[in-house]
Amino acid sequence: MNPTHNKKDVIIVGTGIAGSLIAKLLSDHVFDATKGKMVHRADAGKSDNIREISILMYEAGLEAGIELDSVSSMTTYNEYIRTFYREEAKVPNSPYPNLKQAPSPNVLDMEHIVQPYPDKKGYLVQFGPMPFASDAIRVGGGTTLHWLGTTPRMLPNDFKLTEKYGIKIPKPDSDEKTAVDWPISYEELRPYYEMAEFEIGVSGDVSRQEYPITEKTEEYYGNYVFPMEEIPQSYMDHKIIEGLKGTSVKLSSGEIPLMMVPSPQGRNSIPNPKYGKTKVIKAEPKDSGYKLVLDSSEKEEYKALGSVWNPYMGERCEGNASCVPICPVQAKYNALKTLKKALYKMNDNDNLSRNLFMQIQAQSVVYKLSIDQNDSHKISKVHLRKYISKEKTDFVEESIDTSDAIVILAANAFENPKILLNSKYTTPEGVKTAANSSDQVGRNLMDHMVMLTWGLFPEPVYPYRGPGSTTNISSFRDGEFRKDFSAWISPLDNWGWGWPAFSPGSDVAYFIKEKHFGAELREKLTDRLSKQVLFHFEIEQLPNPNNRVTINDEYLDVLGIPRPVIHYELTEYEMKAMEQAKDASDQMFKRLNITDFTKYTAEDKNSVIYNGVRYSYNGAGHIVGTHRMGSKAEESVTDSYCKTWDHPNLYVVGAGNMTTLGTSNPTLTLSAFTIRSVESILADLEIQLKK
Amino acid sequence: MNIINKILNVDDYYFDVFMSISEALTGFTVNELQSTGLAETYYTYVLKCLEAATFVEFLTVSKNILESSSGEEELKKAIQSEIIAHPGMNDISGKVITMWYLGTWEGAYINDLSYKEGLVWNLMHSHPPGAKQPGYKSWNIKPVNTQS
Ligand SMILES: Cc1cc2nc3c(=O)[nH]c(=O)nc-3n(C[C@H](O)[C@H](O)[C@H](O)COP(=O)(O)OP(=O)(O)OC[C@H]3O[C@@H](n4cnc5c(N)ncnc54)[C@H](O)[C@@H]3O)c2cc1C
Ligand code: SF4
Repeated sequence: MNPTHNKKDVIIVGTGIAGSLIAKLLSDHVFDATKGKMVHRADAGKSDNIREISILMYEAGLEAGIELDSVSSMTTYNEYIRTFYREEAKVPNSPYPNLKQAPSPNVLDMEHIVQPYPDKKGYLVQFGPMPFASDAIRVGGGTTLHWLGTTPRMLPNDFKLTEKYGIKIPKPDSDEKTAVDWPISYEELRPYYEMAEFEIGVSGDVSRQEYPITEKTEEYYGNYVFPMEEIPQSYMDHKIIEGLKGTSVKLSSGEIPLMMVPSPQGRNSIPNPKYGKTKVIKAEPKDSGYKLVLDSSEKEEYKALGSVWNPYMGERCEGNASCVPICPVQAKYNALKTLKKALYKMNDNDNLSRNLFMQIQAQSVVYKLSIDQNDSHKISKVHLRKYISKEKTDFVEESIDTSDAIVILAANAFENPKILLNSKYTTPEGVKTAANSSDQVGRNLMDHMVMLTWGLFPEPVYPYRGPGSTTNISSFRDGEFRKDFSAWISPLDNWGWGWPAFSPGSDVAYFIKEKHFGAELREKLTDRLSKQVLFHFEIEQLPNPNNRVTINDEYLDVLGIPRPVIHYELTEYEMKAMEQAKDASDQMFKRLNITDFTKYTAEDKNSVIYNGVRYSYNGAGHIVGTHRMGSKAEESVTDSYCKTWDHPNLYVVGAGNMTTLGTSNPTLTLSAFTIRSVESILADLEIQLKK
Repeated sequence: MNIINKILNVDDYYFDVFMSISEALTGFTVNELQSTGLAETYYTYVLKCLEAATFVEFLTVSKNILESSSGEEELKKAIQSEIIAHPGMNDISGKVITMWYLGTWEGAYINDLSYKEGLVWNLMHSHPPGAKQPGYKSWNIKPVNTQS
């Protein structure tokens, strides 16, 4: 064992958006020993009595992935792009290193599950009965490297499904039912949404956000504009909107009018002059604790932040149309941008200089925590295995003493529960696992089930251009029907049939097989490819205690660390939504004269039969729910500040905290409550540093 | 006559045959094909991947077709009967078309450039994802080259 010596105030596991946000916000604050308070760097002045917060981050990915000086970051990123060019299957993980020491779940590894045998081809061990269909990436910056960047907020009712619709879910291994309301309301989260939208740099037009909510836009957003102007909608969007405007679809629950909404997105457009100056997120001390506020900085205009290596590259989305899996110019937000702000601070001469109080140790796979029962069950150590190189699987066992530190797990919704479940300790009452007195660690795994429908528009709509999606149909995001079946959101996809049908490659192959060549081949392909449209139905999944991540000593990775073992299934509530969504799709296709090419077959890895009809779905990459927050310690892993109920110095952050999924992509919401958790972390740090 | 040596010499007429038959098979002109910057790379690549005799046979058949057909219709018919209807020739022609259209040979990209220069993107008035980006807001309107 080789404990890392110098003491740290905060240990963060993972450099994804959750970990990077916390690192950024904490490193912006210092401890003013005179006042006994944490203050923002800008307000600290030049007192001798300022103490910096020392932060250590562990990252499972390669060293190169977190070297963020201009030259190194450009070299690494360009290597990702070259890999992407060469990979035949351009799936989300395709540009990034495939590490045996820190494997990433990959959609290509997903197989049919023939029970009782699990699919263990990739990193996940999947017991099913249905395969979990989403992936994530373990490199510096995490999964935002290949996310799409769609950033709608959740709706007020999403936070209170029990109160509003009476939805309850079973308790683990019991017939008793429990509520699924969040411990915070939309109202409480709203200021933090603004902070998250600032940090991510969201482009959008508030006045065009139309949702099936009873609140008015002014109440939902307040007097607010997004930092940047709306990302232009695609030509295809306009054609579809033209054809559907003012119409509605009829579902089993009644008529639902169609609302086509330009999606807010984490990609650069033109900074909105109305947004004003750039902002700072800073903590204001309160009588007890801290409140974060989004303060206008008098210093600078708001600017779009381009690539990590050159801020003038990627200032606008250039229409590379490869947001998933990689944006070549980093016009799309990724967490490396926030991580770089944590690592580099302005010095007195307004130059960026390396923050010496922050350290990131890469190639370090955290696998276990130790708990000190004699010290109010504090986390006393974080254990990790540091591998030597990409090629070799030798590793050095390390641990760090955390008895005087705050530990933050930000390793994503597969890894956080995996680490917690692997942290066993013996108490007089028996063997326990970390943060798990509620028995909720690893449970309630959720994703949006992405049912796709695709067809040919009667005239060319010229897909395969622009960001992945620029418009969504928001009509089905909320309504009384949620008592009966899932809500969903329907993004329109700008990339043709790429996802469901591997177009355009499959179209080329098809017409060649049909013996077409020359001008005729060219015509056929032009016709087919320029008319392709794809609709998504991202269906909300309710928390279900049996959908879960567990571990099992039988399944270890090459470093001897347990792999996530997944149990996953769908309920009638979600399957009924698929039926209803397909019905909605059929009606919209008919109205638009779209020739339907949708086909769900038994060969699809993820498919279910409901009322005698087959439906297939994909994962959305929205890995959610495995360490839910709640208002009661017996029913949740953390409180609303992501602090575990069981350990006074342990926070767990990320989409895993989400109590329910709603119909929005999760990252903006996880960012909002992760930012909010900093208030509690600062309060804990104050106590810690006063000692 | 040692044909293999002649083929390896890129200046020789077999290269021209390859380009001309590629034009007839893909529906893109020799000029358009040349502008990918990959013509010679593809030619030598195919030579490396196929058994020399097979490629020579394909080129010889192609040469005969090209020389003996006067006019497009005739050429089309000849290709149909002598290449498309013939399983072995058809297999090669499919591979050659795919190479030009997508930049791949048996599923693998030939090099970075071949991904970027896949002609399928031109044909649908788009561009390869992650390269040759058209610029902010370009997706909001009809592609420029469809207006004419
Ligand atoms: C294809 C795809 C598209 C998506 N599109 C969208 C979208 O449009 N909008 C949206 O809101 N969301 C989207 N998402 C989801 C979004 O990417 C995630 O919600 C978000 O990135 C999760 O952030 P995180 O910080 O919690 O976890 P991650 O980003 O997964 O970060 C975890 C970090 O921890 C590190 N780590 C993991 N294990 C360990 C360990 N044992 N020890 C040390 N370090 C470790 C990882 O390397 C990584 O750096 C998408 C996801 C996918 C897969
Ligand atoms: S469309 Fe292109 S430039 Fe814009 S975010 Fe996506 S990949 Fe980046």
